[in-house]
Amino acid sequence: MDINRKLFLGRSGLGFGSLALSTILEGAELGMNGLIRVAPKAKSVIWLFMRGGVSHMESFDPKPALNELAGKSIGDTRFKYVQDPEHLKKVRVVVVNDANGRQRNKLYPLQVGYKKYGQSGIEVSDWFPNIGSCIDDIAVIRSMWTTDDNHGAQVQFHSGRHMLDPRVPTIGAWVNWGLGTLNENLPQFIGMGPRFFDRSDGHYLGPAYDEVKLKIDPKNPLDYAKPQGDITVEEQRLGFGLVNRLNLLSQSRYPDDAKLDARIKSYELAYRMQTSVPGVVNFDKETEATKKLYGFDQNETRPFGQQLLAARRFVERGVRFIQIMHGGGAAGAWDQHSNLKSGHAKLAMQVDRPVAGLLKDLKSRGLLEETLVVFATEFGRTPGSQSSNGRDHHPYAFSVWMAGGGIKGGVIHGATDDIGFHPTENPHYVTDVHATLLHQLGLDPHSMEVPGHKRLEKDFGHPIQNIIA
Amino acid sequence: MDIRLGIFLVLISSVISVAEEKKPGSAEHNENYDEVKSLLAAKCYSCHGALKQKAKLRLDTRDLMLKGEVIVPGQATKSLLIERVEDMGEDRMPPLEDGAALNPEEIALLRRWIDSGAKAPAGEPVPLGPSEHWAFKAPKRSVLPGNNANPIDILLEKSRAKLGLKMQAQPERTILIRRLYLDLIGLPPTHKQLHDTRAWESIVDELLASPQHGERWARHWMDIWRYSDWYGLDKQLRNSQKHIWRWRDWIVQSLNNDKGYDSMIQEMLAADELAPSDPSAIRATGFLARNYYLFNRTTWLDATIEHTAKAFIGLTLNCAKCHDHKYDPITHEDYYRFRAIFEPHQVRLDPVPGETDFEKDGLPRVFDDHLDAPTHLHIRGDPKNPDKSHIMEPGVPGILADFAPLVESVKLPAYAYAPASRNYVQKDRLDPVRTEVETVKKELTEARKKAVETPKEEPKPKSEKETSPEQHQPQFTFKDDFGKPNPELWELIGKGWEYKGGAVHQTNATRDTDRLILRSQVPRDFEMTCNYTHTGGATYKSVTFRFDVSADRKYANYVYTSAHAPQPKLQVAYSRGGKSTYPSQGLVAQPIEIGKLYTMRIAVRDRLVNVWLNNKFQIAYLLPDRKSSGKLELSGFDATVAFNDFSVRSLPSEVELTNTKNKEPPPDLKPIDSVEVYEAKLAAAEAKLASSQAIFTAEQARGNANAYKQASKRAALLEAKALKAAGKYESKAFATDAGKVKAAQAKIAKAEKKLTETDKATYTPPRVSKKALETPAHKEEQYPSTYPTTSTGRRLALARWITSPKNPLTSRVIVNHVWLRHFGEPLVETVDDFGLRAKPPVQQILLDHLAANFIENGWSFRNLHRLIVTSETYRLSSNPTGANAKTKAADPDNQFYWRMNVQRMDSQVIRDSLLHLAGTLNLTLGGPSLNPDNAVRRRSIYFKHSRDQQDKFLKTFNDADHLQCYRRSESIVPQQALALSNGKVPIEMAEKIAGLVNSEDFVGMVFELLLGRRPDVAERRECETTLADLEAAAIEAKKPNATQRARRGLVHALLNHNDFVSIR
Repeated sequence: MDINRKLFLGRSGLGFGSLALSTILEGAELGMNGLIRVAPKAKSVIWLFMRGGVSHMESFDPKPALNELAGKSIGDTRFKYVQDPEHLKKVRVVVVNDANGRQRNKLYPLQVGYKKYGQSGIEVSDWFPNIGSCIDDIAVIRSMWTTDDNHGAQVQFHSGRHMLDPRVPTIGAWVNWGLGTLNENLPQFIGMGPRFFDRSDGHYLGPAYDEVKLKIDPKNPLDYAKPQGDITVEEQRLGFGLVNRLNLLSQSRYPDDAKLDARIKSYELAYRMQTSVPGVVNFDKETEATKKLYGFDQNETRPFGQQLLAARRFVERGVRFIQIMHGGGAAGAWDQHSNLKSGHAKLAMQVDRPVAGLLKDLKSRGLLEETLVVFATEFGRTPGSQSSNGRDHHPYAFSVWMAGGGIKGGVIHGATDDIGFHPTENPHYVTDVHATLLHQLGLDPHSMEVPGHKRLEKDFGHPIQNIIA
Repeated sequence: MDIRLGIFLVLISSVISVAEEKKPGSAEHNENYDEVKSLLAAKCYSCHGALKQKAKLRLDTRDLMLKGEVIVPGQATKSLLIERVEDMGEDRMPPLEDGAALNPEEIALLRRWIDSGAKAPAGEPVPLGPSEHWAFKAPKRSVLPGNNANPIDILLEKSRAKLGLKMQAQPERTILIRRLYLDLIGLPPTHKQLHDTRAWESIVDELLASPQHGERWARHWMDIWRYSDWYGLDKQLRNSQKHIWRWRDWIVQSLNNDKGYDSMIQEMLAADELAPSDPSAIRATGFLARNYYLFNRTTWLDATIEHTAKAFIGLTLNCAKCHDHKYDPITHEDYYRFRAIFEPHQVRLDPVPGETDFEKDGLPRVFDDHLDAPTHLHIRGDPKNPDKSHIMEPGVPGILADFAPLVESVKLPAYAYAPASRNYVQKDRLDPVRTEVETVKKELTEARKKAVETPKEEPKPKSEKETSPEQHQPQFTFKDDFGKPNPELWELIGKGWEYKGGAVHQTNATRDTDRLILRSQVPRDFEMTCNYTHTGGATYKSVTFRFDVSADRKYANYVYTSAHAPQPKLQVAYSRGGKSTYPSQGLVAQPIEIGKLYTMRIAVRDRLVNVWLNNKFQIAYLLPDRKSSGKLELSGFDATVAFNDFSVRSLPSEVELTNTKNKEPPPDLKPIDSVEVYEAKLAAAEAKLASSQAIFTAEQARGNANAYKQASKRAALLEAKALKAAGKYESKAFATDAGKVKAAQAKIAKAEKKLTETDKATYTPPRVSKKALETPAHKEEQYPSTYPTTSTGRRLALARWITSPKNPLTSRVIVNHVWLRHFGEPLVETVDDFGLRAKPPVQQILLDHLAANFIENGWSFRNLHRLIVTSETYRLSSNPTGANAKTKAADPDNQFYWRMNVQRMDSQVIRDSLLHLAGTLNLTLGGPSLNPDNAVRRRSIYFKHSRDQQDKFLKTFNDADHLQCYRRSESIVPQQALALSNGKVPIEMAEKIAGLVNSEDFVGMVFELLLGRRPDVAERRECETTLADLEAAAIEAKKPNATQRARRGLVHALLNHNDFVSIR
């Protein structure tokens, strides 16, 4: 098969579903839309997003200097320069005169201790001991920055564009658009948990590329998953059968109608989805040990653990992108303007065991190699205190991490100054995370476009080569 | 201030097309040249092409490059072009601020082309200058033959004949009638309507005159004009406006009245200037009010600029926000001149008759507020970097400014700038005051009657304390050691209660439903003690002591301990109207542990609560109020608990309680009940009425300086008198409350001061409208209650420019939109961009003819619809199968409309059709937007539509994006199949439709009703077989009414047939 032939196949989407899984995984060079330029290392992404803004200093970027300088004003320390207007001009303000998103001058000590973990000895805060135990599989990026000082940064982290710019597709939508399906019975892009306020992913790519929202409820896991009325399984089978046969008869009447063909396919997938999706969120066949690994035995960890176990089950079945949000409320639960210590402790407890459980489970099943796990948030929190016991939004620096899917383990990439204010080496804008992920999936972050729209006109991002194995 | 719009006309040299020349040496085609041109187009043309000729240089043909002496064929090294793109210093092209440098491969490409002789194909055309752009020249009618044939058919057939294209025949008439109904009214025909034998034109006229036609087409324009209900965060309004549905109703009504499109545009942009006393027309300005954005004025105006331009004139003005437009003759300055048109305007809610609460109703509208607000150009589009060296005057893009009208400011009537002067406003505000006078009169009569009947009882002031019930109650004590059940003492709710080991145990962790209710009534002031243990439970693990619990449990005061990690605590809280409040002053963190014995002591005196835990004082809290008639309850919340003992008694008066630091508002004090007080109350009410009347009389006198002066003086006097009367009443009514008396005396003093200063006295103008906050930091009260008495007239001038018959864009853009919605494809592909990138459309003659005709016919949509749907072209079959091969090969994309295009129903049409076929659609027109809900039976246009509220079913079928939707997208995804097959509405409607069709030939009838044609033999056989299978399945499953159930199943399947959602 020469490249042009492959290109034609890929572009027209012909027969992709019928290609065997192995063909796609073993150096397949085709995408549904995106032209795969490099051999893919990962086939799926599990995207974990902590809504509200996780304190980077108290999770993955320890700053003991804060303890020494606690109570001092930034302006009275050697870090005075961090607040020079020149250093702050990146941020574009959405909410004029907002009470949040401001400079907080009085340095606030760390509210938690740190320990070293693993062979790599990377320090992780005491709120995340279980994630710490997986650190040798994780690449921590300590030098992220963004430009929105309010929670619109959630939109920005997913799309790469600031709130004040037009909405563009999210990273999940691009992956969905760019890659072919691996399982004809399931949607390719699944979302769980409390969504941020931009409720669409596809935007100009269209609603076909929105996440399919899922609940952990085997009886009713997705919208319209079962008849909202008294229709028996047999009646439904007969109904779908008739629809299918009548549409096929219509094909002889309208042989030129391409949409009719698409409609027939959509009904076939819909019928299969109704039976396949509930099975995935039914955990009866999982062992007690596995469930425990994900924290099913504790009320605090069970809800997130269930979503993560479902994510692993979707990955096993070839779903490309699973987007899981943690932290309810309009701004997101991690938004600790006050009571940071108790709030972060509580939220970290909800996610720490399940996330570690996911990594261990994926690894033991050999899935971690082809599954990229991202742990992210929209921004960090200020080194200075807000009210007496909180921290404000901090778009200038924050931490995220990645694991699996051809990412190096046990590495730290990038750094911030001693109070965690600005990145001091290898700063990365949010789309570098997207580009890394696209690269690992074998897509070229530069060449993705549809008529009238490039993926991003600027800041499309570059893969972070230092963390790629 | 009279400024000619577009006075700053930018002179753009128009380049006349050079005659095609053939040059020897350029005859050879060079493959590289296409690549070279696309590279130069991307990097250089915006400054060196048809649009601009910086340094008098153009690079858009080989000859122009030669003329500009920038290439030396065969010698790249000597070519200035190469020199400049390779320069890494200041002379680099493109310059730093205009784009990235060429990369080495790109430079190599240019070098190769030049070195190999810089060859170009012969006769390379010179791109036209912007003023020659087809869409910038006025559309012209075609000269048509004198017969009565439809111009659409004549013009299209002319080109079809030229190309040898053969039209398809018409499909069966039922298919055509279904197409027409869905197109014109958005509802499918009934069985009878499918077989309407009247002339096509009669059916067309009937549908165009139907009120449902306005609703159907209003939804199209709501897409383009970005209709959105308000949204924000919780109650904070951040985007659009409340009651914006009034604009939607204006659109529907305008279409149903066939208001000219020119008038519609003028009213949407400037009804407040055009018809300042006509609220009905002012509804139209919802078009602008919809862009309201609380946080950022630039974002707000950017949206206004972008979408006014895209919607009405098809120009991407937004591309000139940061720099000159890269493709169109629109300068950076043009953008900010356009902004200056909108700079003064703001948004407010005007009162509507019969309603004074703006949460319930109001009219969202715009008005010019800051008449002198300057507009500055933002350097590189950065609002933080305005060029304050000069002020941008209002204007339209220079290229089309020659027919721009003068900006003339508009003097407004009092009706517009002082809404309190309106008759209905007076009535709505005075009626309740009049009613109050009547009510007080009755109260006074009653009080007098009572005074006569009980003459001996002096109405003496009573303190609240004296009315407290415990004064009259005997000392109360109660004790239980829970050694055995005592059902006469306690009512046990829930099954988990067990008496064992000298305690009562709650063994089920529920959320408050299980509880112990003390049968005795505890006194208002009481003291209770209880020893208890948290024994386990789920999340909150709380033990709660409730008192004052009302019968419906919506009112209660309570104290609880919670063992919930990470914040175990002791808390005083209360429920009012079922809503719980957990005041921070009532909270103390406590390390509550499971299995440990706690002693709770609570003492309550009036509103003051003191709490001790394990004999240590913890909390003093003042409740907002008390209703002490309620019950006392013990319970767990997410907890299992053991109560070891419990005692309660009247609170001895000698027990001293700790006072609280929290300051809750005092409870409502009841006025003293006496004749004298009611007399004062009546005097106050009457004074208030006189004052209100005088104030509204003054408001009505606005605009007449002398009369206003007189009337406002009188109003000020009466307002002071009313204040004094109110003070007098309050001082008598609340004579027992020192604070209130003091406040009342202050009122009297203030009033008396005013009465002595009659010369400078002014009245308080009533605030009867509500200006939208300009920023979150503002407060409504800081805005004046009246508005500027003039409007700048800028928006009206803009509207007149847009709707000028000389404007070449407006009519073309809208005709293209109308065509798109009838035929499923537009004549100009880029429906929101008619700029230089829009190539002349294949059917330009047709578009121009329709556009010119549209203007000549008074911009009448109805006329245009009629012209289109009565054409032969509209009535062709959509099925290309069987068309002659030459036609298919020559025009596979149907650019010459030799057949109809198949369209999918818009999301609203799908839902409305389901309801309509089932006979359940409620055709009521207009009114407030409805929350999306499966039970709603109104048309889908009435659903709320915003970022936060969108009907799920509609969204699944590509509903309009509230931010931008110039054309609906159309996807085919499994979620749609699930929505139609599993959704509640399709299932319910299938059942109703099955019940409505009563025929021997059920299959034939429903097939035709739902899909618009009779089934063929094979289809009929499939339907009948499945019908029988469904009936058998129903019988097998022992379901009642198997026949009817099977019919429902068949209808449901047909609703999922591709041809149901397709318009063929």
